[in-house]
Amino acid sequence: MFGSPPLRHQIVLLVLVAIGFALPPFVPEYYLFLLNSLMVWAALALGLDLLMGWSGQFAFAHMAFFGVGCYGTVILTKQLDLPFLLAMPGGALIAAVVGFLVAIPSTRLRSIYLALATFAFAEGARFVFNSWTGLTGGPDGLRIPTMTIAGWKMTSDRQVFPVLAIILAMLLFATQQIVRSRFGREMSAVRDSEHVAMASGIDVRRVKVLAFTVSALYSGIAGGMYALINSFINAQQFGMDGAVLALSMVVVGGMGSIPGVLIGVVLIGLLPVVLQTKLRSMQLWQELIYGVMLTLSVTFMPRGIWGAVTGALRGRR
Amino acid sequence: MSVSVLFRIEDLLVQFGGLRAIDAFSMEVEQGSIHALIGPNGAGKSTVLNCVSRFVTPRSGRMVFDGRDLLAARPHVVTRMGIARTFQNIELCREMSVLENVLVGAMSQTPRYLPFLPGFARGRIERDAVMQAEALLERTGLLPFRDAKAADLDFGRQKLLDLTRALAAKPRMLFLDEPAAGLRNAEITALDALLVDLVRGGGLTIVLVEHVMQLVMSVADHITVLNFGRRIADGGPAEIRRNPDVIEAYLGTDAHAAG
Repeated sequence: MFGSPPLRHQIVLLVLVAIGFALPPFVPEYYLFLLNSLMVWAALALGLDLLMGWSGQFAFAHMAFFGVGCYGTVILTKQLDLPFLLAMPGGALIAAVVGFLVAIPSTRLRSIYLALATFAFAEGARFVFNSWTGLTGGPDGLRIPTMTIAGWKMTSDRQVFPVLAIILAMLLFATQQIVRSRFGREMSAVRDSEHVAMASGIDVRRVKVLAFTVSALYSGIAGGMYALINSFINAQQFGMDGAVLALSMVVVGGMGSIPGVLIGVVLIGLLPVVLQTKLRSMQLWQELIYGVMLTLSVTFMPRGIWGAVTGALRGRR
Repeated sequence: MSVSVLFRIEDLLVQFGGLRAIDAFSMEVEQGSIHALIGPNGAGKSTVLNCVSRFVTPRSGRMVFDGRDLLAARPHVVTRMGIARTFQNIELCREMSVLENVLVGAMSQTPRYLPFLPGFARGRIERDAVMQAEALLERTGLLPFRDAKAADLDFGRQKLLDLTRALAAKPRMLFLDEPAAGLRNAEITALDALLVDLVRGGGLTIVLVEHVMQLVMSVADHITVLNFGRRIADGGPAEIRRNPDVIEAYLGTDAHAAG
């Protein structure tokens, strides 16, 4: 379980990058847009899962960090004229710093209190996005300028697709390394029993703050990716509906497992698209369907789809 | 004969609201001994232990381990100083495997490395940690269950895993909170043998927290008796067995009235 991940896991990443380069010429732009969105969600959900599934902290601030990463990337591009490969890490770093500062007081709280405090922070952040007109454009939002990567102008989803595939592959690689490392073991121990963790010499506060910060970094990176596939942002895009969506992805797919999170991202992420195209009148029912899926999943598959599948396979052996 | 005191508690006072859970409690633990801390249910034994682990902060008093002040340390530092413990109501990382639980226990002994560098250091550190964990599991007889989920073990083996996890921290002093509770007789005998072996052969110091008096009589070098948060007796097993206060605490005063 620990030590370096097996080679086959890294081959999957290479395949992902290869698809990133091979697919665009053959697939309609619209589908590439969908896949791009899914990759942004995947980055966000992977970070959320590090916090929830691996270190056992239920926090709801990730949309705020997503927003900070996105605004940060756009503002650094606009004001300082930075290329994307500097602006995006810059935005993500700001998100991580904000995450660190939020983590210090909020990780003193547990369970529902942590959830409430981070929920309040997320709403506060949205208020700031909406009110700091000089920086964020306020309610009017910001038009995202065309990003450049190594001199290439990113004007279409076709061009963006390989870039996002590479970023996501890197995040997946990092996640594998983290969860199978000493730090991953510390997070799991804190999740399962804080008493055991403390009695084993683990600095529980440090692990929580670090997990929170890394999770905020992932959200910030996802925000930078989001800036690449959009032409406009305002505060409304960083609200609670997004937070619930990311939460559903992690919970329905399977907390604490990378394949589980990816399954959740695809299922929950494609749901509105399917509802829109196939069942035009069903779009109204979207929220209800999410709710029912989440409830059913928590009741009948507490470890998510991936947990249920691996559990069934293990039981059969 | 010179004996050295490894651990000392002086005048401990713990107050929960209006209740004095621990009152003016003192004890000294000698290096390399098995020291039993006994008392009826609710006497405050686990509270003393939770003070040592720094889960509970006493209102006043001192705790000194090997010349260092425990009250100045945060919980994880206590373990790094060389004090490990088990839990009365088994606490395990339930979702993790048996091996992983022992690796968690060995965390204070495992060097840090950066997760992003899959280099030689990481591989060597992890291999060493796994080898040592397996050796320890062999010793406590859990090696056949190496990959089982901790939550799936039976009760006796969960207690044994709790102990193995604590031993993985390579403590100098080990607090065991009712290690025999709920175990079958054969399991208790094996546990006693293991503990004696660890102390006589490995130089470990053990504090045994227990409410069943008979269990500690055969293994303990020294016994401290606690009742209603106060120390009522302190001495060798034979001495404690005859102490009228201890008999009263365990059997009540009716025995005298009837006799």
